[in-house]
Amino acid sequence: MSMKAGGNRSKPGGGNTAGAAASGAGGSGGGRQNLGRGRHSGKGPSPVIFNGVYANMRMVHVLTSVVGTKCELKVKNGAVYEGVFKTYGPECDLVLDAAHRKNPEPSIGPRKEDIVESIIFKASDVVVVTFKDVDLNFARKVSSDTDNFTDAAVSGRINGEHKEKDLEPWDGGETHNSDSLESLDTDVSNGWDPNDMFKYNEEKYGVLSTYDSSLSTYTVPLERDNSEEFLKREARAAQLAEEIEASATYKARVALENDERTEEEKYTAVVRGERETHTLSRENKYIPPSQRNREAMSWGPGRQNSPRLGQNSAGPSTPRPGPHDYSPSSGADQRVVNGGPPRMSPKSQRTPRAHRVPPCRTSGVPPGVDLISHNAPGEVPATPPTRSSSSGGTWSSVVSGAHRPRSPRQNSIGGASPGSSSLSSPQTATAPVETVTTPTSASSPTAASPAPNMVASPSGDAKECRVQETRQTSPSANKENIKPLDSSPSITRPVCKGPPSMAPDHRKQIDNLKKFSVDFRLQSSSNPDPAFDQMMTKPVRDPADKPKDLPLDKASTVGREGTEDGVVVIATGTSGGAPAPSTTTSNTSKPGSPAALSPSPSAPDQKRAGLDVTSQGVQTTATSSFSGPKHEEKEEKKEAVQDQVRKSTLNPNANEFKPRFNTQPKPANTPTPPRPQGQPSPSIVVQQPPTVYGQTVCFPQMYPLTPVSPGVQKSIIWKSPAMYQVQMPHMTVSQSKPYRPGKVPNMPQQRSDQHHPPGTPTMMHPATAAGPPIVAPSPAYSAQYFTCSPQQFTSQPLVQQMPHYQSQAQHVFSPVMQGSARMMAPPAHGQPSLVSSSTTQYPEQTHTMYVSPGPMPQQYPHHSATLHPHPQHPQPSATPTGQAQQGGPPQHGGPPSHPAASPVQHQQHQQAAAAAAAAQALHLANQPPQQQMYSALAPTPPSMTPGPNPQSPQASFPSAQQTVYIHPQQVQHGYNPNHMAHVQQAHMQSGIVPSHHPAPTHPTMMLMATQGPPGGPQPPMPQTALNPIPVSSTTHFSYLAHPQGTSVSQHSEENVRVAVFVF
Amino acid sequence: MAAPGPGEYFSVGSHVSCLTCLGQRLQGEVVAFDYQSKMLTLKCASSSGKPNLNDVILINLAYVSDVDIINDRTETPPPLASLNVSKLANRARTEKEDKLSQAYAISAGVSVEGQQLFQTIHKTIKDCKWQEKNIIVMDDVVISPPYQVENCKGKEGSALSHVRKIVSMLSIPALHVLLELLIVLFMD
Repeated sequence: MSMKAGGNRSKPGGGNTAGAAASGAGGSGGGRQNLGRGRHSGKGPSPVIFNGVYANMRMVHVLTSVVGTKCELKVKNGAVYEGVFKTYGPECDLVLDAAHRKNPEPSIGPRKEDIVESIIFKASDVVVVTFKDVDLNFARKVSSDTDNFTDAAVSGRINGEHKEKDLEPWDGGETHNSDSLESLDTDVSNGWDPNDMFKYNEEKYGVLSTYDSSLSTYTVPLERDNSEEFLKREARAAQLAEEIEASATYKARVALENDERTEEEKYTAVVRGERETHTLSRENKYIPPSQRNREAMSWGPGRQNSPRLGQNSAGPSTPRPGPHDYSPSSGADQRVVNGGPPRMSPKSQRTPRAHRVPPCRTSGVPPGVDLISHNAPGEVPATPPTRSSSSGGTWSSVVSGAHRPRSPRQNSIGGASPGSSSLSSPQTATAPVETVTTPTSASSPTAASPAPNMVASPSGDAKECRVQETRQTSPSANKENIKPLDSSPSITRPVCKGPPSMAPDHRKQIDNLKKFSVDFRLQSSSNPDPAFDQMMTKPVRDPADKPKDLPLDKASTVGREGTEDGVVVIATGTSGGAPAPSTTTSNTSKPGSPAALSPSPSAPDQKRAGLDVTSQGVQTTATSSFSGPKHEEKEEKKEAVQDQVRKSTLNPNANEFKPRFNTQPKPANTPTPPRPQGQPSPSIVVQQPPTVYGQTVCFPQMYPLTPVSPGVQKSIIWKSPAMYQVQMPHMTVSQSKPYRPGKVPNMPQQRSDQHHPPGTPTMMHPATAAGPPIVAPSPAYSAQYFTCSPQQFTSQPLVQQMPHYQSQAQHVFSPVMQGSARMMAPPAHGQPSLVSSSTTQYPEQTHTMYVSPGPMPQQYPHHSATLHPHPQHPQPSATPTGQAQQGGPPQHGGPPSHPAASPVQHQQHQQAAAAAAAAQALHLANQPPQQQMYSALAPTPPSMTPGPNPQSPQASFPSAQQTVYIHPQQVQHGYNPNHMAHVQQAHMQSGIVPSHHPAPTHPTMMLMATQGPPGGPQPPMPQTALNPIPVSSTTHFSYLAHPQGTSVSQHSEENVRVAVFVF
Repeated sequence: MAAPGPGEYFSVGSHVSCLTCLGQRLQGEVVAFDYQSKMLTLKCASSSGKPNLNDVILINLAYVSDVDIINDRTETPPPLASLNVSKLANRARTEKEDKLSQAYAISAGVSVEGQQLFQTIHKTIKDCKWQEKNIIVMDDVVISPPYQVENCKGKEGSALSHVRKIVSMLSIPALHVLLELLIVLFMD
């Protein structure tokens, strides 16, 4: 009986055969046997002899049916075992699995240790086995009655006869089909001819068709005659037909049917073509403003964010453009454009451009990139076009020169510079010009121009100098027009930018510009309005002014220093104007010009390529005041914007910066000296505050980002931004503020970035300090400063623009912006700028990602929280950096380091933002830094940082999303108290957190991350510098690492990086 | 101990009764009888009264006395249906695992409520197991002592809500039975 399971398998079936043979004893054996046979046959043909129970089919069947059920088995001694019936042996030995001896006490179940894996009971020991509640049909495969037609049932009935059916080959029968089959292959006709069908039916079925080819049943034949009436109608019909057939809609629809293009052409090449067109056009071809606008428009939708960015960037970028020939030409173009619908809808244009710009960047158009980067939002768009249009090379070179310098400078200058620098550096690493452009674009994109400029201005003239140097270096390209021109170009660009933004006001601006051209310096210095006027006029002027501009440019060029000064001045002018009339004028011009120039003007300029020189000259002249600033760099414009923004705070810094600029600028142009004077940034600051504040309203939006530097103001502003913006628009419209408005309008977008730049300016200081980095950088910084102030101013412009954007894309942007703003606000230091940039970037990113809104909200909360603090901080001065950014310039001296860093960051942010805005693509296109920045979220602006930043930011963001919240809060709390940096970090975190919320979209995450990183980075930077750095160690580390890399300059770079991160 | 005499073979389908050496009276319909091993298999009405189920008794006639044939088979027994062996094997495996799992819980000191809950859940959700004193349902929901609704944790989803529903109903004794019924209904 100990056989066990030996026959498990064979049991059921096995028994059968055996059963048949052996069970003869049983009365029913026969039946069993039959049944058994059936089974057996089923199992297998091999004759198996079953022993014992296995031979008893019935027993096998029943025992098999209860396999797997619980049973109680009583043995002779009365013990009861419970287990799962597993199987049985031929001697009827029973196997129970998981069996245990059942205790008298029924209640408690068996303990684990009581259970035996399996027990084999000899049949001789078994008294009785009880299977309770068994479903004997459980394992029955089929109920014979209900399942007669399944394969199993059918085969089951065969019961054992497994004979395979013989397969019979199919006989196609007659082969008459072969003919028809062949005919199918050879018959080219498209089915039967109708007449054949009719004939066939008639012959075969006797059916006559009533078909009438004239369709008289359905229509009335046309009675032709020579009557005048008929001829008229016929002519009319022909006309209508022609109109219809000439309509795009008709063609489009027809094309759908008659499109012989390959799928590749239709689905792959198209995009490329468009992009190329845009970029290329920008780079090498002159694109009519209208087209530009269109392009911009086309891009715009997706890049609504870019508008701001564009604007922001525009501010900066315009400067860039200005510096280059582009600015001039662009200025004119922009003017024109602006003057036209574009100008009217500068925002749209800008945005489009901005959008375009990003594409360009992505496409790899250096100019575009530069523009974008520089101009971040507005300028970038415009500038890119201009650059590209005017002469990608020149622009790029110029831009690159300016930008690079700027970016590097910026990087070097401040934290902002880090980002930009990082970006720039990478870029710089690449071809100076192109790379630079890209870098610049990268850096310039958002902050680059603005920030860089700002930075330069803030950080000091050094940056500007650098920028100038870079300009000079690249300027050679710019120089094409004339070095002075270059400087002027930058100015012009700003001017151009101005027009774009100013669009509506362009005419006014033009007028103003004309005035400016004449009185540029004075006007600019005296009033931001000049800028607007210029801006306004620029459009108009461009044409007319161009000549003037040229003179002016010459003048400006004559003294690039003057221009630089002018730039600085502009910045200062915007801010305070006090620095120097010329400077102020430049500033004003910048603002105005930037807005007009950078946005559309630049594009036009570039497009005008041919005109570039002349136009540039003109523009420069127009900008002369502008040009000065512009030359300093479109950056200057940005700076101007920033300066304006910064003006309140920046002016001080601006002054400092200017000196540096002067020093550096001198190489490039005497202007630099002026800039130093212009550095009036302090004065600017003064002015800026007012303007800024007035603009602040606008700024708010901008400020969101800027908040950092502007800190309080920005933060404050932000809240009211919408209001202000709305008003601002009006303001911009009004010529009174022309320059500022113009600038502001244009700047707004750019400026927003620039605002950050303002912060960057402060950053710039560091950069400047460290700064010597690159000559260009300094200029850039100066430009940035200007831009910064401009930004502030621009903030107004932005506001104006913003309204558009807001109305259009503002939804996203505003949210984003706000969010970023908040984010920025926390950063107060440079973060504001970062934030702004980040915001801008976000928007852009949002384009890609766009979900960012979600993040934004999140950010907002945080921001709001942080913002409040920030605002306070800024005001307190704690925000020196923050103030530095906005008002920061003034503080630049002291705060600069931090502020500068922030500014730099801002710039970077802007750039980064721009770059980001440009889309990560830009990043790619741009140098590693940006990419990293973006990818990393800017944590680590440079290559290295990206990783860290991403990690820290991202890590915190992604994984942290949930956790992140905590961090933000924590960070905010701790950080805010500690330092702006902390705040920034908090922002970053908050940003991150938001991102988490948005988490759904990686983009948002990215954005957030970027924001976060920026904040984080910045904070880290600050922290590194300050010590406070509680932020995420990772970020810090990354940042730190960077900082460590280059002490002061590093700091600036770090800031930049940070900024990048923020972006 | 009286061995059936020659010719006293049990015919399938006849009803017989007997008394075991342990004094247990058994009665049922003959399903199978193996002369060599003297094993007799009877089919009885389910002791739990469930209509579709039966109790199957395997008797070693070597230890039985008083074997009486209540009535002989009246008709030819039905043909045997083929069986799904794999299905049976699966049942055997799962039954074994369940028992071991239950034993684990018992030895782990899980409260009766916990065991009860486990059994209840297990009726509808086979994918539940013990992890220490926690019940893991579908690798998704964790029910920790004292096995109340608030102790159900896991990823929000239908699984969690379903488990909570079961737990919540279990917490109300009066609804216990109803719950099971509902579960059966819903699950089906």
